Amino acid sequence: MGSKATGASTPLNPAVEILLKFVNEDLLADSQEKVAPDTALFDEGRIDSLKILRLIAFLEVRSGKKIPDELIVMDRFRTIETIAKNFPER
Amino acid sequence: MLNSRAWTLPHSDFPISDDGLLSPGAAETTLIHALESRFREMALAAGSEERQFPTVIAEEILDLSEYFQSFPQFASAVNSPNKRGRYFLSPAVCYHCYQLLMNSALAGDTLLTCQGRCFRAESANDSHLWEFTMREVVFLGDCGFVRAQCDAWKQRIARWAAQLGLTVNLTPAKDPFFLGETRGKKLLQQIKELKYELTAPGLLGTDVPVASFNLHERFFTSRFEVTLTGGEPAYSGCAAFGIERWCMALIAQHGVNEALRRVEESDDLR
Repeated sequence: MGSKATGASTPLNPAVEILLKFVNEDLLADSQEKVAPDTALFDEGRIDSLKILRLIAFLEVRSGKKIPDELIVMDRFRTIETIAKNFPER
Repeated sequence: MLNSRAWTLPHSDFPISDDGLLSPGAAETTLIHALESRFREMALAAGSEERQFPTVIAEEILDLSEYFQSFPQFASAVNSPNKRGRYFLSPAVCYHCYQLLMNSALAGDTLLTCQGRCFRAESANDSHLWEFTMREVVFLGDCGFVRAQCDAWKQRIARWAAQLGLTVNLTPAKDPFFLGETRGKKLLQQIKELKYELTAPGLLGTDVPVASFNLHERFFTSRFEVTLTGGEPAYSGCAAFGIERWCMALIAQHGVNEALRRVEESDDLR
């Protein structure tokens, strides 16, 4: 779990909240380990090759745009916060 | 009779057949050996144990490595009625290292180096040879050791290329390697930056990869059951150098005689 608390004291950006819910309740539904907005998603094998496709599909549906493969790089996908910043909803 | 391509370099004897087979001239052959000798010295200076392996590799080793799932079109089969096993020409030398270590626990951080003729039946162009020489350094141990080795090799080779006066560029690779070609695996590799390539201008002026620096995570070690002393799968990675491509890039930038002088006089092999 990442270092940043997800409690009620700091309201989350709605885009971060939606992504966090998708990752923890859908992608990681079968995992004991959940992530925080600042958790490095691709460490420790949390996200495998099928999950990355589901995450991309989720972002594409929400933004209404296809994400070109060349934009799928670590700098844009490191954490949920990074993803929310780089792939805003429409 | 092999047909040689028209893109032989000016002032050099570097003919490549239509099927990607190279028959270099005398000076170019000397340059290839000089380059390989330098990479070997670097690997030994870094503390690697040197191994030699056959040019052919058993089908079950490539199968265990999921090679046929990932790159079925590149495999080159070898058939002999006198042999019991099914074999292929090796597409990379590091597969032999995993075979060597199969079902074992590492005594500690491990560096192996090996050189061999490798075969990948890719569509031939000005830089894709069907048969080529590859020097590899394979690192196995915990995650920190493997990452540190990978970074150290990137720096070592970039420094050496600078000493040779070779213009190079280090970037995350976009083509698939061990994970395969399905979109999910390709994107996962891309996002995790598991493979970096060092490129240099090739025969036709476009950049071609001359080296790659790869993190395999636990992909091979979990399949070959190579563990740390505690029993958990080790991490692994490798640095790989395509000797003929270094030769092409150096000839393109300096001509064969000057390239040979620079390689022989280079002394920064730390």
